[in-house]
Amino acid sequence: MDAKYLALAQMAVGGGLMGMAYALVAYGFQLTHAAGKAVNFGQGELVMLGAFAGISLSGIGLPYWLSVSGAMVVGALLGWFVERIAVRLALQQRNEGWILLTIIVGLFCVSLVENIWGREDRPFPTPWPAGALDFFGISVTWPELAIAAGALSIMTLVELAKRYTMVGIAVQAVSADPDAAELCGIRSRSAISLSWAVSGAAAAFAGTVIGPVTTVGPTMAAALTLKAFSVAVVAGLDSGFGLVIAGVALGAAENLSGYLLGSGWREAPGLILLILALALRPQGIFGKKIIRKV
Amino acid sequence: MLRAENLRAGYGGGDAVRGISIEVAEGSCVALVGANGAGKSTLAKALCGLVTPRGGKVFFCDKEITGLPASDVARRGLCLCPEGRRVFGPLSVEENLLLGAYPRLSSFGPFRRAASGDLQRIYAMFPRLGERRMQQAGSLSGGEQQMLAIGRVLMARPRLVVLDEPSMGLAPVVVKEVFEAIRSLHASGMTILLSEQFAKIALALSDHAYIIERGSVVLEGASKGLAKNPAVVAAYLG
Ligand SMILES: Nc1ncnc2c1ncn2[C@@H]1O[C@H](COP(=O)(O)OP(=O)(O)OP(=O)(O)O)[C@@H](O)[C@H]1O
Ligand SMILES: [Mg+2]
Repeated sequence: MDAKYLALAQMAVGGGLMGMAYALVAYGFQLTHAAGKAVNFGQGELVMLGAFAGISLSGIGLPYWLSVSGAMVVGALLGWFVERIAVRLALQQRNEGWILLTIIVGLFCVSLVENIWGREDRPFPTPWPAGALDFFGISVTWPELAIAAGALSIMTLVELAKRYTMVGIAVQAVSADPDAAELCGIRSRSAISLSWAVSGAAAAFAGTVIGPVTTVGPTMAAALTLKAFSVAVVAGLDSGFGLVIAGVALGAAENLSGYLLGSGWREAPGLILLILALALRPQGIFGKKIIRKV
Repeated sequence: MLRAENLRAGYGGGDAVRGISIEVAEGSCVALVGANGAGKSTLAKALCGLVTPRGGKVFFCDKEITGLPASDVARRGLCLCPEGRRVFGPLSVEENLLLGAYPRLSSFGPFRRAASGDLQRIYAMFPRLGERRMQQAGSLSGGEQQMLAIGRVLMARPRLVVLDEPSMGLAPVVVKEVFEAIRSLHASGMTILLSEQFAKIALALSDHAYIIERGSVVLEGASKGLAKNPAVVAAYLG
């Protein structure tokens, strides 16, 4: 193959694999939005906190898998906490203050991280082999593969749990009709809390797989929330695996535009996607829920 | 078994239920009859915890349940089959039924097996649900959805079911079918509180009835007697 096309393909594949992380964070948005019609605009900060938690747990000598699991527990607790202290209150008062509250919690997390871990970027240790794999001239590193495999496994696991466990079916019932779910004896608030915890765990997990590729620092959260949010809105805020396609496309487009147009253009596709997201939902991102006619 | 004392409830401004007292004895079928907007559904929701009462008390099996969340009320065996059916549209018929038994089923275990006896009972009662076990509930006809809603509430093994307008929006043939099911449910010993606009059927089916107008009980008594009461005949049976 022509060397020029090969380089482009290399860029696209590398970006696409990174895009799986966007898809995973976007999936977290879907989970909480489906259950309780709210999302965490501090999701990117949860990704970062997950990465730092993973590094610290590795630092005290825990094996890789335990560090990742520990990071996910931290993410789950934080996700649960944000819903509990910020979102629930605002939604009960029927205002949109929860948007600001989740952003504020996120900002607080950034300064917390800077105070605890400092501003330097750090490497994330992994057990993966150092070399790269070669697919028809395109090289893929193990940490990149781990992003894709990890993201797909988490999403698949959660989707299976939603379909084949009673708790999962109950969460779907709460998404469809919280009052009717209550009448079945399901505690809707607990189901929503659970969705936030799973969403937080997914975000923290994303941090542990992105970390080895990008290195970990307080700034890694910055653009992630908005990119993942755009992916979720374009793919559908309540469900759908379209977000894998949207995430991969965004990741690939970012790399390609950075390569073809210069590194300053890397963020352009994300911006375009966000505008697209807003255009797709002219009624507003959180447009009034359509009242189902009986 | 169920007793409400001077219950008040509403949304926003005024009260939709203005001091209603009712009683449902174990094993009986009690009807709430009233026109559109009389407050029957609000009363049903206030009894079952979906709307927080603004005043008054609710007792179920001699314990006060006023203001408990609906999920707790349901777990005590006071189960509402809500107006408008409210089946979980994206889920299958069988999943809807399983959800009815949710508090009893283990969260991760073999829940289908644990509930299979109850499922068979519901499918025997409504064979059409059995034929459509795997179909999306949202794609059922209105009548089938009503049967599913009744099946779902029965999956909870309730001690008392509140049926809120089970005839709403259904064709006359289907209405007949649904009321046949309610009649046999009553015959099998289930305690029922039935809210219904169709006064004629409701009075024929129930032992006792309350006539509700603008949020208050205006008449009450044995259903047979009410069905002959000239005021009731003029207003609801004419
Ligand atoms: N969700 C709601 N928000 C605000 N007002 C409501 C709501 N539901 C009912 N109402 C009002 O409360 C009053 C009583 O309504 P309710 O639904 O209890 O009557 P109903 O007797 O069940 O009538 P129907 O036979 O039409 O079902 C009505 O004036 C209605 O407009
Ligand atoms: Mg009603």
